[in-house]
Amino acid sequence: MSQRNERSTQPELGGVTHWLIHHAARRAPESLSSRLEEEWLADSESRSSPLSRLHFAVGCCWATMVIAADYPRSRVPAASPVAAARGFVTLIDRNFAYFSLRSGTLFLIAGLHAALFFGLIALSHTHGLATPPNLQNTVVDPVPPKILPPQPPGMEVKDWMVRVPRPVVPEPRNIEVEKDPTTEVIEKSQEPYSPPQPFETPTQVVQQVAGGPGAGFPETTDFYPSVSIHLAEEGFSTVRVCVDKRGRLTSEPTTVKGSGSTRLDEAALKLARAGSGHYRATTEDGHAVNSCYPFGIRFQLKK
Amino acid sequence: MGKKDSNVRMSLQTLRVLEAFLENPTVQLAGAEVHQRCGIASGTLYPILLRLESAGWFVSQWESVDPSIAGRPRRRLYRLTSTGLRRASEVFASFNRGVLA
Repeated sequence: MSQRNERSTQPELGGVTHWLIHHAARRAPESLSSRLEEEWLADSESRSSPLSRLHFAVGCCWATMVIAADYPRSRVPAASPVAAARGFVTLIDRNFAYFSLRSGTLFLIAGLHAALFFGLIALSHTHGLATPPNLQNTVVDPVPPKILPPQPPGMEVKDWMVRVPRPVVPEPRNIEVEKDPTTEVIEKSQEPYSPPQPFETPTQVVQQVAGGPGAGFPETTDFYPSVSIHLAEEGFSTVRVCVDKRGRLTSEPTTVKGSGSTRLDEAALKLARAGSGHYRATTEDGHAVNSCYPFGIRFQLKK
Repeated sequence: MGKKDSNVRMSLQTLRVLEAFLENPTVQLAGAEVHQRCGIASGTLYPILLRLESAGWFVSQWESVDPSIAGRPRRRLYRLTSTGLRRASEVFASFNRGVLA
């Protein structure tokens, strides 16, 4: 049974051996191809066993690769120009086949990777440049910068706080007039004096003392008109004077409210003028200031 | 085989092939016989033979038999040239000097 199998496998292995040798010799340089095929077939016949021949044939395939590497085109002898041309073409084909067998696969894989890489780059570039239609051709006008007027040199705004000078709040004056036997000077105006309302609530209370007739102020009897004495005219006149720090008039006195007699009113104005320099100045926190205030003068006959 | 290059890369297998031929420098050996003497596989043996032939150390010729009569293909026989003999002797002499020294 085993002998039958061995006999049946021998032709098969012999055929494979011959095919391998023929294939190996065909891949060898052209000038050596026929020679190697005949030589290898003859040497394989010297092997005793079919497996040894098969092993020999496989070795010939390997030898072909080494010989092809050892024998470049220039070292291959040519028997004739035609053979040389055939050998050249065959070498090119074989070299190309050898190239395509190993390096070609490598270059093919590298080329595929490169193509994939560039394809991805091109795809990402295309997506990067694509913009929605509503964003295309939209020109936005630049916002003009705010032009501020140039500041004059030397004037720089430090802050936005406006400092308002402290308002002067006048208080009702207490007018003191020396007692006179014939006339009476009213210390306080009959009409209550209403000070001007400040715009803002004062943040600081100022102690103010209103001025009035002071020491050396003329006597009212010296200015009582003689006609009025004969006619027994009596009256009360209110005058307004403006006085400086030293008690002197800074402007002409005026009649605020008349007494009903022109003579008495003019006598009151004369008395007010004559008293210049003898007025008591208004003080704020103890300091004399310029001020205007009214005071009353009563002309009354002694009974 | 074209332009001869006397410089041959010496490997252990090459030395063993040369040793087989130096036993009898005038003998002609086929590849199968070299394989029997050296035990070198065909994949290594035939490139060495062709390399030495290309370098001018060997010459080869076909066996003078008729394949139709012999019933087998002709064998390719290799033989040392005078150059090959001299160079191979020098190689082995240098190895012996190196080893003995």
